[in-house]
Amino acid sequence: MEQEGMVHALEQINRLLRRAGTLIEIHPALEVPFVEVRPNGEPSFREDDPGFDYENDLRSAEEAVAKLVGRRVFVLQERRRFELRTHASSVRELRDHWAVVGAYDPEEKEEALVRRQDEMYARAHEVLERSPGAELVYVEPATMSQLIPAV
Amino acid sequence: MTIRTDPEGNETDALFDLVELEGREVLEIGCGDGRLTWRYGDRAAHVTAIDPFEDAIERAKERLRTTDLPIDFRHVAFEDFAAASDADVFDVGLLSWSLC
Repeated sequence: MEQEGMVHALEQINRLLRRAGTLIEIHPALEVPFVEVRPNGEPSFREDDPGFDYENDLRSAEEAVAKLVGRRVFVLQERRRFELRTHASSVRELRDHWAVVGAYDPEEKEEALVRRQDEMYARAHEVLERSPGAELVYVEPATMSQLIPAV
Repeated sequence: MTIRTDPEGNETDALFDLVELEGREVLEIGCGDGRLTWRYGDRAAHVTAIDPFEDAIERAKERLRTTDLPIDFRHVAFEDFAAASDADVFDVGLLSWSLC
């Protein structure tokens, strides 16, 4: 979504909310997601996801929220950082999951980027093969903002 | 093992810290298949959960049939939903990984 569309969406949400309402806005943090293999709770493998190519979109989202706060449409009350962790038993299972979840992403990833991602997952698979019972964990740093309509 | 998303509850811990959902009228925008909706739906008075992707909403509706949660999953784009909605109707808006 273009930043103009984000601003418009936030304005529309403001209209739908009661004056004492709250908007919770969740989006990925400006940090690279990473993949871990955890044999016994501790990671034996950790690599950044080379597929992280949406930094500009995240900056646009941050700016859109900042614009609405600057215009006093919303007041930013609080912001939290957290990690959304997706656990799988295999690379295949995780990638099948992303194929369903990511099917809604309209943008194709660059070929070189997909290749690097494939290579990273191949390394993760090798480590998993050597670690019976280990988990594969995809970690997405995210932010959650609490915004209230300005009266 | 099946996929487990946020078994640690990091996302819901943050959500419950930041907003009171009990008895509230909630609008979730970009609910997908309800991944997050299931985790808070029992707290709200009612949840309207919308998403423009039909197959995700269908999966959510299918699962909803096995529960008695007060959730209304709707296959609709936010701009269309907003255009057809009155003002000042929701206590909580939840933009669920959908602004960008």
